[in-house]
Amino acid sequence: MRIRSEIIIFFLLISVIPLSIVAYISYDSSKEAISGSVMEKLLGATENTGNAIDNWMAARKDDIRVISQSRILVCTDKKQLREYLDTFEREYRGVYREFFILDLNGSIIFSTLDRKGNAGNERYFTEAANGKLYVSDVSLSEITGYSEMIIANPVKNNGTITGIMAARVSLENLYRIIENIDVGKSGEVFIVNKDGNIIFHKNRSMILLHSIPDNHAVREVTYEKNGIDEYVNYKGEKVLGSYYWLPLYRWGLIVEEKTDEAYTGVVALGRLMVTVSFFAIIGVVFLALVISRRLTEPIKSLENGALGLVKGNFRPIPVTSRNEIGHLTEILNQTASELLFIRKKLEDRIQLANHDLEKKNQELIEANEGLKKLDEMKSEFISLVSHELKTPLSTIKVSAEYLESDDNADPFERKEMLRIIIRNIDRQTRMINEILDLSKIEAGKMEFQFENVDMRETVNSVIENIGQLAMKKKITISLDIPDSLPQFIADKEKLIIVLNNLAGNALKFTPVGGSIIISAKDLGDSIEVRMKDTGIGIEKEKLEKIFDKFYQVDSTSRRKIGGCGLGLSIASGIIRAHGSQIHVESETGGGSTFSFRLKKAEP
Amino acid sequence: MNRDAIDDRILQLMKKDSNISNIEMSRIIGIPENEIAARILNISDTRPIILIVDDDMDSLLPLKRSLERENYKVVEAYSGRDALQKATAETPDVILLDLMMPGMDGYDVCNRLKTEMTLKNTQIIMLTARDDVGDKVRGLELGADDYVTKPFNLSELKARIKAALRRTSNL
Repeated sequence: MRIRSEIIIFFLLISVIPLSIVAYISYDSSKEAISGSVMEKLLGATENTGNAIDNWMAARKDDIRVISQSRILVCTDKKQLREYLDTFEREYRGVYREFFILDLNGSIIFSTLDRKGNAGNERYFTEAANGKLYVSDVSLSEITGYSEMIIANPVKNNGTITGIMAARVSLENLYRIIENIDVGKSGEVFIVNKDGNIIFHKNRSMILLHSIPDNHAVREVTYEKNGIDEYVNYKGEKVLGSYYWLPLYRWGLIVEEKTDEAYTGVVALGRLMVTVSFFAIIGVVFLALVISRRLTEPIKSLENGALGLVKGNFRPIPVTSRNEIGHLTEILNQTASELLFIRKKLEDRIQLANHDLEKKNQELIEANEGLKKLDEMKSEFISLVSHELKTPLSTIKVSAEYLESDDNADPFERKEMLRIIIRNIDRQTRMINEILDLSKIEAGKMEFQFENVDMRETVNSVIENIGQLAMKKKITISLDIPDSLPQFIADKEKLIIVLNNLAGNALKFTPVGGSIIISAKDLGDSIEVRMKDTGIGIEKEKLEKIFDKFYQVDSTSRRKIGGCGLGLSIASGIIRAHGSQIHVESETGGGSTFSFRLKKAEP
Repeated sequence: MNRDAIDDRILQLMKKDSNISNIEMSRIIGIPENEIAARILNISDTRPIILIVDDDMDSLLPLKRSLERENYKVVEAYSGRDALQKATAETPDVILLDLMMPGMDGYDVCNRLKTEMTLKNTQIIMLTARDDVGDKVRGLELGADDYVTKPFNLSELKARIKAALRRTSNL
């Protein structure tokens, strides 16, 4: 996971968890406190209502008691009685609907409404007749249609019940009092009787007509219980309801308030908590972002720099902070510069090595070329040698076959054929000797017998060998050898071969009428032998190769003097065996000069 | 005037007058008398002509003698240039061509001869001491009809010449 995300998550964890806990705890306790106060308020309202009812009812009872004990009731003056009771009615402005007096049989003997009749079966009559004040259940007035009740009290004269005093009490007055009690905007107060029928409700039409089904508070209060609970009321709303049993009148007083409203404060508090938490989280995230940015920015640049380093980019990474990261960046920069230095050094070395390799490679290529060329020359040589050996063989064979097939040949022809045979045998012998000599020299198996040699003697035998050919080509051979020339150390036979080969070459390449000069000179510790001709010369680029094995300036022109172009190679090999070297100076068209030095003999 | 034209003139003159002398013909055609004699000898010679090309005189001579004894007319050439000249002049039936020659070598000669229209019936037998397969292939590709390596058997060479002549007459 990236550091940034880690920091953000960490911050969120350490901020959100305690924040949530604190918020929850404070919300919870506040809720408790608020709901406590709500309930208290509700209970207070219930109590107030209860008290109001009690007070009002007590006042009514007192009224009835006072009236029933009044002297006026005893007197028989109906007019006076009526006045008295009318005054009451007026005074209480509609609280009392009717005052009426019953005899002990239950017959109405006086009524402010002039009503007649018998109420001997009514409960209020029987109860009052037993000497007790009685308050009837609430019922709807047949006359007004409003709810009302009857309060009856015995009328006593000297301790004896002489009749019953009763009053029809309208409850509207009480209702108005209850309605004025503050139970909140959505608060609802209603009173039920023991059967659960409504005897008081804001909506008058519900009174006594409707029982409230499945209402928790009604159920509880009809069990004569008091309490406060949350439940769903008859309208299907969640409410907080307080119920209070008034045993005196067997009424259940119920005050309900919608939970939403009751807990408005709690909800507001919850909202406040959520809002505060939300902004706190945003603040924390922002803070975490800022901090993580501050932390990760240098790390990121460090990372990029390190990546660049991996890819071979040695640019220094900018140091943006003085903390550990900054220090690390500095170390990395140092490493990078060191790496760069090492790399440069390595590159230099590689370049050097490459250069060396290239040079070696070039050398190898050249060597290979040389070897290839040598190989080609070798196979060319073998081809030439086989040709040179087979050609005279072929001639000998054809000639011999010719002689063999004709016994009566012309003697001149016979002789001619035999001469050809002998000449070709010689030619082949010479060639074989040359090849053998060269291979001996190559293998280092040629044996040399060094002795003191006289130059003139040697040259004379050479002239003997080549004189005839020179004469044929009209080439003059002149000698420049001082009489006083000391002897030198050499193998005479081999030296003759050298001079023969050189002279042979000179004759070969010198046109008719030219000249060859053989000279010798005392150089103090050695003798220099030179052979100069007036031939065609050798091209500069061929000069270096003429001593190479198998090299022939012109591969087809050797036949006239025989040999397969090995003459110079043999000569060079022999002189090398003498501890010296053949030098050549030549110019195209200007003739050639071959020279070598030999060790002077001890005097 | 080339030799064929001279030959035609000589034949025309001889047809008119069978007893005409060489001196007279020499005068009419305008060439020396000995040339006329040589041409007459040449016209009357019906033997197959074999041109031997070899720079080595020692190789050439015994071969020439052997083939002459077989009743062939033998013409010799000592170089490539010489060979081209003799070939156009004599129109030989068979050419025995040595490959290793200074200057123009056997391959060059073969190449040139093959472009010559008058020699399209001439059989070329290459004669060499080199017996490399590559050399043989090269020679045959250049248009040589046969290839004989030295040293060869004389009777074998004669047989090959006879075979070559048979091919010429079949053409």
